[in-house]
Amino acid sequence: MNILVLGIGQSLRGDDAAGLEAVHLWQAKHPNTAARVQVGYSELPGLALLDLFVGMDAAILLDAVQSTKSAGSVIQLGPDDLASFTPEAGSAHGWGVAETLQLGLALNPALAQVRMTLIGIVGKDFSLGAGLSPQVRKAMGKAAAMVEREIQNNLK
Amino acid sequence: MKTIEVPALARVEGEGGLYIGLKDGKVIEIRLDIYEPPRFFEGFLVGRFFQEVPDITARICGICPVAYQMSSVTALEKALDVEVSPQVYALRRLMYCGEYIESHALHIYLLQAPDLLGQPSALDLAVIAPDVVKNALRMKKIGNEVLKAIGGRSVHPVNACVGGWYRWPDVAPLQALLPELEWGLEAAKETVQWSLTLPYPALEIDYEFVAIHHPEEYGIMHGDVSSSKGNKTSVADYEMRYFEEHVQRSNALHGHTAFGGTYLVGPLARLNLNHAQLLPAAQKALKDAKLKLPLKNPYKSLIARAVELVHFYEEAIQLIKTYQPDGPAHLDLKLKAGEGCGMSEAPRGLLYHRYKIDDQGMVKFAKIVPPTAQNLPRIEADLFALAPKLVKMEQEQATLTAEHLVRAYDPCISCATHFLKLKIGEVGHD
Repeated sequence: MNILVLGIGQSLRGDDAAGLEAVHLWQAKHPNTAARVQVGYSELPGLALLDLFVGMDAAILLDAVQSTKSAGSVIQLGPDDLASFTPEAGSAHGWGVAETLQLGLALNPALAQVRMTLIGIVGKDFSLGAGLSPQVRKAMGKAAAMVEREIQNNLK
Repeated sequence: MKTIEVPALARVEGEGGLYIGLKDGKVIEIRLDIYEPPRFFEGFLVGRFFQEVPDITARICGICPVAYQMSSVTALEKALDVEVSPQVYALRRLMYCGEYIESHALHIYLLQAPDLLGQPSALDLAVIAPDVVKNALRMKKIGNEVLKAIGGRSVHPVNACVGGWYRWPDVAPLQALLPELEWGLEAAKETVQWSLTLPYPALEIDYEFVAIHHPEEYGIMHGDVSSSKGNKTSVADYEMRYFEEHVQRSNALHGHTAFGGTYLVGPLARLNLNHAQLLPAAQKALKDAKLKLPLKNPYKSLIARAVELVHFYEEAIQLIKTYQPDGPAHLDLKLKAGEGCGMSEAPRGLLYHRYKIDDQGMVKFAKIVPPTAQNLPRIEADLFALAPKLVKMEQEQATLTAEHLVRAYDPCISCATHFLKLKIGEVGHD
């Protein structure tokens, strides 16, 4: 089974780096599992995100999200949840993950066969500068554990 | 008071608003309010080593980083009194071909075409015409692959430096792109034919077109600044004829000619002024299109982009086939104090840079004039021409019509900040 684990976010935008950091932590804690899957980090995936799903049976995406939930909450979303995101293509620069996935599904229905999971980490501060807020930093362990659990579920 | 407010304009780069002021049912004021925060690039270049400039300025825009690299290296080489080899120059043009391909394919199909086809976004276009969008993404990707093969990554490539390249890119990865480029060339020819079938709104403007012109090549890096009014200005004299001014409402400067007039830079200007220098396939595509030049309809800049796509695919193929790295990739530069200006044609239009450096190679002064700043007054003037129709329209239609016009310019407010809420208000009333 081909599984992609992809951390998404900008390392210089505070909590936006949460997805990258969580994948780093999971990789360090579970090197054996990490060796069995494809691991990627993407600061600005844009439309190129779609290329990463080619040949994959499952994909676990980690990204910072904005939500009414408190900072540091970790949310797991499935394909149906992703489809409910509102496209906000306000800028040619700003093709978000949800929009890109929707575009991909419209262009290539086979993408629906990839079992897609998004682990969203609710951020607090997305201003310029490196480093996570304490609440988001504290959530890294939980997000990493969710990655491992999701991979094991896929491998069953 | 009659006020119409609409949501932010999508599918442009950056943030701003459009205000249309009415008095007694007539439009008396139009303002593009640019409130994207200023980015201070010119300020923080001061005190940096000159060789950092190409990679710092490239960060101004994710769509046209090569333009910033090319204008800056050209200016700084002038300041150091050096000239790069024809090989270095050819590879710079190849990298620029990649940028034109990715930028134009994006704008034609994902940013402007939805307007012409009555679709709210590229996502909706993908639902009704998936093959069109698939081809668009494939076309765009080829451009990004060219950037990656030369500059190590598909967005914000590195490798360009003052004096040449940090290293010659390998031949094999570039040659591996030839089959996709050949496919892209055919797709670009079809794009021209398709672009002629689109329903462009009627609007003819008597523009002053301004672009780099070179008698022996499609002017994007070498040549003089040519105007459709008959003026020809050397790069060194650009600031004698073209000015920028601060306007209170805007974080972007506004460009105008020395005589106070507006002017237009970008694909329409280039095509109208430089069509004789297009490569054969693009010449044929233009001839087959049976267009009457100059094109004066701003919406039809899409056609100009399509013709340019043919040109840049063709040029990229030629340049890769003849690419044989030989000799040093960059000059051995000797530091000296100096001042130099340079320009190149970003996909959106003319991009001017000027730098002063000291004898240690530190930047003492930097000036950057991006294409969108030059076009902003022209966009306002076009909206003025369109305004009498806008105020008679329903809010939704007025918004879409104004947005479409602005999008046809492919403005990059992030670059210019230096976009768009439409507000129509009755001046002098509460």
